[in-house]
Amino acid sequence: MSFIISTQAELLKTKRTASFWLSVIGSAFIPTLLFIALFTNPDTAKNLAKDPWTKFFNMGWQILSVFFLPMYIILNSTLITQIEFKNNTWKQVFASPQSLANIFFSKFFTIHLMILFCFLLFNIFMILAAVIGNLINSKYTFLDRSIDWEMLLKLNFKTYISILGISAIQYWLSLRFKNFIAPVGIGLALVVVSIIALNYHWEHINKYPYSFPALTFDSIRKQSRYFIEIHEWNSVGYFLFFILLGFLDMKLRKEKG
Amino acid sequence: MDNTPIIKTTALNYYFNKQQKTLDDINLQVEKGSIYGFLGPNGAGKTTTLRLLLGLLKKQHGSIEIFGKEFDDHRIKSLKKIGSLIEQPSLYGHLTAMENLKIYCKIYGARKERIDQVLQLVGLEGTGKKKAKQFSLGMKQRLSIAIALLHNPDLLILDEPTNGLDPNGIIETRELIRKLNRENGVTIIVSSHILAEVERMATHVGIIHKGKLLFQGTLPELQNLKNKQTFIQIDTSDNDAALKLLSAEYSAEDKNGYVVLPFKEKRVTASINRKLVEQNIDVYLLQPQQNDLEQLFIDITSNNN
Repeated sequence: MSFIISTQAELLKTKRTASFWLSVIGSAFIPTLLFIALFTNPDTAKNLAKDPWTKFFNMGWQILSVFFLPMYIILNSTLITQIEFKNNTWKQVFASPQSLANIFFSKFFTIHLMILFCFLLFNIFMILAAVIGNLINSKYTFLDRSIDWEMLLKLNFKTYISILGISAIQYWLSLRFKNFIAPVGIGLALVVVSIIALNYHWEHINKYPYSFPALTFDSIRKQSRYFIEIHEWNSVGYFLFFILLGFLDMKLRKEKG
Repeated sequence: MDNTPIIKTTALNYYFNKQQKTLDDINLQVEKGSIYGFLGPNGAGKTTTLRLLLGLLKKQHGSIEIFGKEFDDHRIKSLKKIGSLIEQPSLYGHLTAMENLKIYCKIYGARKERIDQVLQLVGLEGTGKKKAKQFSLGMKQRLSIAIALLHNPDLLILDEPTNGLDPNGIIETRELIRKLNRENGVTIIVSSHILAEVERMATHVGIIHKGKLLFQGTLPELQNLKNKQTFIQIDTSDNDAALKLLSAEYSAEDKNGYVVLPFKEKRVTASINRKLVEQNIDVYLLQPQQNDLEQLFIDITSNNN
C-alpha cells in the first residue's frame, strides 16, 4: 500500500516536467520522420508493397533501437531524478515518513511507467502515421492488410526486457551525480561505444547492455528461434545487479538530501 | 502529564572528517510543549544536529530519542509526527502551491481539507496557478512552513525559518510559531543565529558553539546567566582604596591585582567611575569583560545576517 502511495506522489511530481514532454515528443519523432518519408521517398511504396505493416514497423524500430531508445532511457532517468536535485527536495523526501526502499523503488517504478507510456505512444503514433499516410495516398496498402499483433507485442515486450539493464545502470548513475551532465554524458559515451561495437560485430556484444535493444531488434527480424535471447537474460542480470547496487549505495550513504 | 522529553540526544558526536569534530557531546533535551530556540553562530553545528534528528545524516556516536523512542528503530513512525524545514525551501518549482501540498498530503495521508487550511494559515490562498519558482523568497519560505504543518505534526523542526525574510515576514513567522505552540500545543525546535530573535519567541534555549552545547535551559535561566557572566575590571592608582570603596555596594573583589565586580548596566559603570574620581583615585582602566559565553553572545548579537 505504502509503495502505491509513494508512486502516486512520484507521479504527481512529473506533471509538466521535461520528462513528460520528452516521452510525448520523443515517441512522436520517428513516426513523424517515417510519415514524411511516405511522401518524399519514391522507393517507400515499392519497399512496403509486400507485408507493409511489418516492413513499416521494422523501419521504425530499427532507428529506435540503436540510438533513440537508449538515449531516451538515459535522458528520462536523469530528468526524473533531477526533479529532486534541481529543486533541492531530496531532504524533504528523506525526512518524510517513507521507507528508503519505497523512496528508491517508487521513483524507479515511475521512470518505468514513463518508459511504458512512451512505448505505448510510439506504437500508436506509428499506426497513426501509416493509416493517415494511406488515407492521403491510396497507393499504400496498410488499410488492406492487418497488423501482425503477435509480432508487434513480441517486439515491444522483448525490447522492454532489453532496456532493463540500461535503465538500472542509468538510474544508479543519476542518483550518484547531483548534476545533469555527468549521467547523460557517461550514457551518451556508452551509446557511442555501442554503435561502434555493433558496426564491427564485436564478439562480446551480447554482454554490452547499451547494444541490447539493437540485438533484440536483430533477433526478431531474423526470426530467431529462442523466445528469450542470451543478451536479454544478460539484461535481466544487469538489471538485478545495478538496481541492488543503486539501492545499497543510497541506503549506505552517510548524507542524505 | 507525561514528562518524557520530546527530543533527547545523549552524547551525540559527529565528524565530517577525522580531524574536525563537528558535534562534540551534544545532549539536547526538548521538553513537550516548549519552543526551543537553538542558538549559535553560522557553522556552529545547528544544521548538522537538526539533520541528525531527522535521519538525514547517519548517526555516528550517541543516541537520539524522539517521542521517547530510539529514532533509528522507529524512523517512519516518528517522522509521521514531525514537520520539518531544513535550510533553503524544498519546493517543486514547476508546480503550484496547491500541487506541492498535494504531494505531501498523499505521503502523510493528511486530509484534503488541510491543504486549504494551511494555505490560509500562511497566507498563500490566492496564488492560484502561479508556479512555486515564481514565488518570492518569503512566499517560498511560507509554503515550506505550510508543508511542514500539513499533517498536524506534534513536533516542528525549523532550521532558520526567518532567514532571508523581510522584517514583516520575520514578525509574521514568529507570530505563527508562537500561535502554533500556544493554540495547538506543537513542540517546536527552531534554530537561529540571532539572540534577539530567540529571546522573543523561545521558552527554552540551547546555545551551540563550535560543536559544543554551551548552555541549555529556560529563557529566564539564560538571562540570569548572562548577568552573572559579565564583570567590570578596574585598575586604579590605589586598588586597595578602590576595593574598600566599592566592595559593599557592588560586591567588588580582588582578582589578579585588579578590582573586579559584576556588570549590570552601562549607567552603573559611569557612576562607579565618578565615585572613584571623586575620591581622588585615578582610573587607569575600567572595562566590561566577558568570558567565552559572553563573547559568543556578542558574536550572535552583532552578526545580524
